[in-house]
Parts: sequence; structure tokens; C-alpha cells
Amino acid sequence: MTAIRGTDSLRSWHAADLALPPVAVTRAIDPRLPSPATLRLPIEQAVPAVVRLPLLEAPPGVTSFSFGLPTAPPPPPRPRPVPSAASAGPAADDAPPQGSQKRTRVAAPRDVVKLSERFFFLLQPDLETILETSRLEFPRPPFPFQLDGMAFLLPRHGAVLADEMGLGKSMQAISSLRLLVRSGQARRVLVVCPKGLVSNWARELADWAPELVVATIEGEQGRRRWQWSLADVPVKLANYEVVVRDRDLVAELGLEFDLVVLDEAQRIKNRSSHTSQAVRALKRGRSWALTGTPVENRAEDLVSLFEFVAPGHLHDRMSPKALGAAAADHVLRRTKDKVLTDMPPRLNRDERIELSPEQRETYRLAEEEGVLRLSALGNEATIQNVFELVLRLKQICNFDTATGASAKLDCLEAELEEVQASGRKALVFSQWVETLGRLEKRLARFGALSYHGGMSTVARDEAIGRFRRDKRHSVLLLSYGAGAVGLNLQFSQYVFLFDRWWNPAIEDQAINRAHRIGAAGAVTVTRYLSAGTIEERIDEVLRTKRDLSDTILSQAEAPASSGLTADDLFALFKLAPPRRAAA
Amino acid sequence: MDQAATTTAYGFLTTVESPTHGLFGGYLLVDPAGRPLEFHCTAPVKVSRAQQILYGATLQGHLHGGQIGAALLAAGSLAPRVVLTDVESMLTVRAHTSLPVALVTAADPGTGLAQGSACVTGPTGDEAAALHAAIEPLAAAVDLREPFDRIRAAIDEAQRH
Repeated sequence: MTAIRGTDSLRSWHAADLALPPVAVTRAIDPRLPSPATLRLPIEQAVPAVVRLPLLEAPPGVTSFSFGLPTAPPPPPRPRPVPSAASAGPAADDAPPQGSQKRTRVAAPRDVVKLSERFFFLLQPDLETILETSRLEFPRPPFPFQLDGMAFLLPRHGAVLADEMGLGKSMQAISSLRLLVRSGQARRVLVVCPKGLVSNWARELADWAPELVVATIEGEQGRRRWQWSLADVPVKLANYEVVVRDRDLVAELGLEFDLVVLDEAQRIKNRSSHTSQAVRALKRGRSWALTGTPVENRAEDLVSLFEFVAPGHLHDRMSPKALGAAAADHVLRRTKDKVLTDMPPRLNRDERIELSPEQRETYRLAEEEGVLRLSALGNEATIQNVFELVLRLKQICNFDTATGASAKLDCLEAELEEVQASGRKALVFSQWVETLGRLEKRLARFGALSYHGGMSTVARDEAIGRFRRDKRHSVLLLSYGAGAVGLNLQFSQYVFLFDRWWNPAIEDQAINRAHRIGAAGAVTVTRYLSAGTIEERIDEVLRTKRDLSDTILSQAEAPASSGLTADDLFALFKLAPPRRAAA
Repeated sequence: MDQAATTTAYGFLTTVESPTHGLFGGYLLVDPAGRPLEFHCTAPVKVSRAQQILYGATLQGHLHGGQIGAALLAAGSLAPRVVLTDVESMLTVRAHTSLPVALVTAADPGTGLAQGSACVTGPTGDEAAALHAAIEPLAAAVDLREPFDRIRAAIDEAQRH
């Protein structure tokens, strides 16, 4: 028998190889058939096919990505942020617990689609490691939610940091821009803020990015030209008015910024304003907007903000729900109750105060006369007419115009006695500078100081300094316009809203001067409402507006009416809005 | 001087099993601060049942070290001071490279070279001391097991992309 040696041998098998004789079949059944024949059985066709198993020989294909060589110096051995007593920020007691195992990753934004760019973010170390190895010192360790905020800002070219007031938006922005400058991703940064906050920002920049040279753009035009032209200054700081005034100069100098940060960015909610146009004209790579109130009155506020942050991304015809969905990846909003669960509580008291007899009589006469006048005007009545009446009535709720009687002030005075006796400090807000003047006189025994737009920046800074340092000053009287934004007055435990602003967001900003990170204890907020007056009716409207802001930021359905419309105003006096004839 | 030659780099080499696609390999090169310099990943390798039977116990070593690991190390343009892996069978890549390769596992006092929360098991004797010295700057900056998470996240992202 032939030995079978391999597949070739298998293929050449024949019956003969098996030494078998051909198979003979005798046809004995039918004698008429030809002589017996020999048939060969096709054994070859039964040869089994060979299966070849592929081995793991060829290496897999490899895709490669390169991220450039490092620009930062090699890291020192694990430095730990050292809390500094000199910090204007929260006290050391408010620092987050050390040794947290939470690691914060910088994720690629949704609009980054190239895989190589997404890998750039994904493959970075966590933020805690980046901070530790970057030789960056902070006045205090950032809170975990603040690291989340930095991880949100860092990869984004268009971002709205919309944290509730007091959560440290400026610190998060400064630390993020500091990392960008450090890594060479930003060399020219412009920070734009309201005029009254320039010194505040300069101080915050010095605290949170001490190694960065900052040029504040101010003074006469020649000086500003020189300041704008400074090439070796990584951070420039300007107020909105300067940016508007120097719009042509900035263009003439051909300035381009790697990053523009807008503080209190609700300032550009009116798209046609000079301010909005001027900041949108800035040539920039990244656009970050900081605001605690991305939606102040109307959904369009957010659309306007996005004309700076991500032009064309949102439009006015989108529903609130669609707006929320489209903006979601660009907006980060946290509230104190969500991220600072151990922050001292804010206690709200709505105090309904009966007008004094004098006030009540004056109020009744003014309202009756005003409503009669509006009724008489009929279709000629304007919103301005209604506003005038509202303002007049609100003023009477503060002080009787004839006698100066004020039930609110009587109440405030009594409450401040307790504040002073306990060694605490209080903030009192009003929309009128004139009201603040009256209060200052009557509250002189509490060392009342004023802070409003009618004062120079120097005088205002001095007032804040005295209020902060001197125990004899228990009360600071502020106007909503000047005092509602940017001030860190967390050493105050009481806030009184002597009268109400038109917008709940502004009221929140005012309250959060005291109720913010670093607050020494519970903050008690007292909102005075004159019973049975226009103030109660306005309060109803304010509640509706607060709902709108929550709706868009939570991507839920909005109420049909979201702003203080003409109808709302007329309804305050149970009047039907005038019907104009069609043109 | 060639900048790539003077850059201090560390390599992290691992594999990620995908139930649908097969086995991916990832190789991340980082600087001493743990920041990415290069990333290389393989196309997925799917092993058939027959191959599993044929290779038997040698499959893992051949697949990880001989196939995926060797291809990835060959793709790197920087020569790291050490290549760390968290897959034991990847150590067979030593047969295909002159680079020192060490295994990183969760810290277990008494074994290997403790580096923070990680434990590095590598060559023995004098080589071990050299390896320890090479890893020290990086271990001072990052948790040595953390970069493997980044590789896994990147491969996961690549599958969804």
C-alpha cells in the first residue's frame, strides 16, 4: 500500500495504488448484452478538500496621532496648593476638603468632530494632575465644581459660564485662561467687564494668576493706544465703554485676541446696541461669556449672547425647548443649592408691611388719580404713562411724599438695631439714589455708608473698604444698578431689599453679594412688600419671570408669556391695554 | 539635535476587548507631566475559534505582544524611557523590542516596585533599579494606572466615531 505522505499524495490516489483489481461485473442477467465490461469507479472525486487555517501573521494596521512636544517645563514633585490668608476669596474654612479622589476630565465639546482633536482632549491627564504639575499656585484649592467649570471652559471656543452669582465665575475663567496661556494656547487675552468692576477684576487676576502681566486699558486716548499696542502683555483688561470707544482703534491696530472674556455678559443682550456691536467686532479665537443671568427677560437674551459666543448657532424663532437643547453644550449653569450643599443657607423672608396712615392716604389718592387719568386717556395711554404711575406709587410705598413717613424704614430701623447689637453687617438695596440718601441720614447711628452710581469709583471703593474693615459701619446702602454685580460682600449676614427691582435676576445678583462662597453663616434676606399695593402686584409678575429663566435653562416648556409686556403693565391697574387703529 | 531624541517620554501599552469588533491595541506616549505626545491604536483583531484551538495557551502572548504590541511600538516615533503595560501577556513584546517593558498593577506591598497606588513589576536585578529610577519622575506626577484609562476612553471614542 502506498504511504500517504501529504496532501499531494492524497490528490494522486488511484484504486491501483490500493493494489485492488478493477471491479468486474458480470452481466449474467441478460445474455443479449455485450461481453462483460470493466468499470472504473471515480475514486479521485472523493478526495477531501483541504482547509487552510490562516495564522496570525500579518500585524494589524496602526493609526497614529501626534500632539506636539511639550512646551511647559518639567514638573516639580507634586506641589499642593497652599491656602493664602491674603486671598480676597473665601476664607480657608470654606476650602474644599483635601484628599478628594475625584478626578476631573476635560471632555471634547460636541462640535469637535475630528477624531484627532477629540483625542487631544481625551488623552490629557485629569485636571487635578494638570494643575499639580503646572507649578501653579492658587490662593485656595478650587472647589470640585469649579474644576468642572474649568474643564468646561478649557476645550471650548464658545462658552457661557452661567453659574449662579457667588460661585466664582471669575476665578474659574481666570484659572482657565491661565492654563491656556501657560500651555501656549493663548497669548493675547482680553477681559471686558463693567466699569465698576475693573478694579475687582484686577485684584482677582492678581490673586488667581499672579504671574500673568495684566494691562488695564484706561486713561486718555494716547495712553490707551499705547496700552492696546503692548505686545508682551498676555492679558488686557478693559471696561465695556472703552471697548466701544476704541472700536476703530482696535481695528486700526489690527488686534486679534486668542480669547475674549466678557464679564456680566448680559450687557450685550441688546444686539443693536453699540456695546454688543463693538464686542462682536473684536477678532478673536475663543469667546467666553460670564453671566449669572443668561436669560433676564426674554428668550432672545440668550440668542443675543450667542451672537458673541457662537454666531448663528441660535435664532429668535426657536422655541425655548429648542433653544435650551441647541445651547446645552455651550452653557454651563450650576446653582448653589446643587453644588454647595454645605454652604450656609439663605433664609428668605417676604415681609408684608402695612403702610403708615399718611402713606396709605397719599397712596390711595395717587392711585385713584392716576388710574382715572389713564382711563381718560383711553387709547392714547402709553406704557410711559403707566410706568410713571408705577414709579410714583412705589416711591410712596417707600416714603410719604408730604410727611416723609415710612413704615418700611421704621421696620428696617428696628431690625438693624438687632443686626448692630449682634455685631453683624447688613446690605440694604433700593432702586433710587434719593431713597438711599434718606436712609443714610436716618440710619447714621448704624454708621450707614452709601454705594451707588452717583459716586466716583474711588469713593465707592473707599466705602467698601470702610464697610469691610470698620466695625462701626453696620450698614451699607446700595443701589441695584451699581451694587448688584461683582462685589464680594460675603462678610454680611443680612440683606434687605427696601424696594423691588423689575427683574428677579437683578435681585438675585444683589442678594448674592452676601450669599456667596465664603459666607460666614446663614444669610437672611428680607424683601419688603407694602401690603395691598403695586409692590404686591409686581411681585406676581416677577415670579412669572423667574419661571422663564428656569424653563430655558432646564430645556423645559416655557409659559406662553415670559416678559413684562405692555398688557402686564396695564393689568397692574386692571386696565385693558389701548387698542391702536391699524395703520 | 533631533528634538524627538531628546524628549523624555514614557509609553503606556494596553489592549481593549470589544465584544463586537475584536481586540484593539493602544499605545500612548506621555511626557513627564503625563501629557500626551503620541497616540497609536490598531485596527481590531478578531480571533477565530480555530485559531484559539491552534494557538492554545500561546495565543494571548502571540496576539498581544507579537502582533499588537510589536506593531504599536514600531509605530512610535519617540523612544520612551520605559514601556508600561497593564496586560501581563503583553510582556511578550519584549521579544520584539529593545525598550524596557514593565507591568503595572494595583499596589500590593511586598511585590514589585511600589509607585503610589501602582505596582511596577519588571526586569530583575540591576535592571529593576534602573527601571525604578526611570519611572520615578513620572510616578511623582501621575498615577501610573491612570493613563491606561485614557487609552481605553480613546479607543471607545474611536469605535463610536
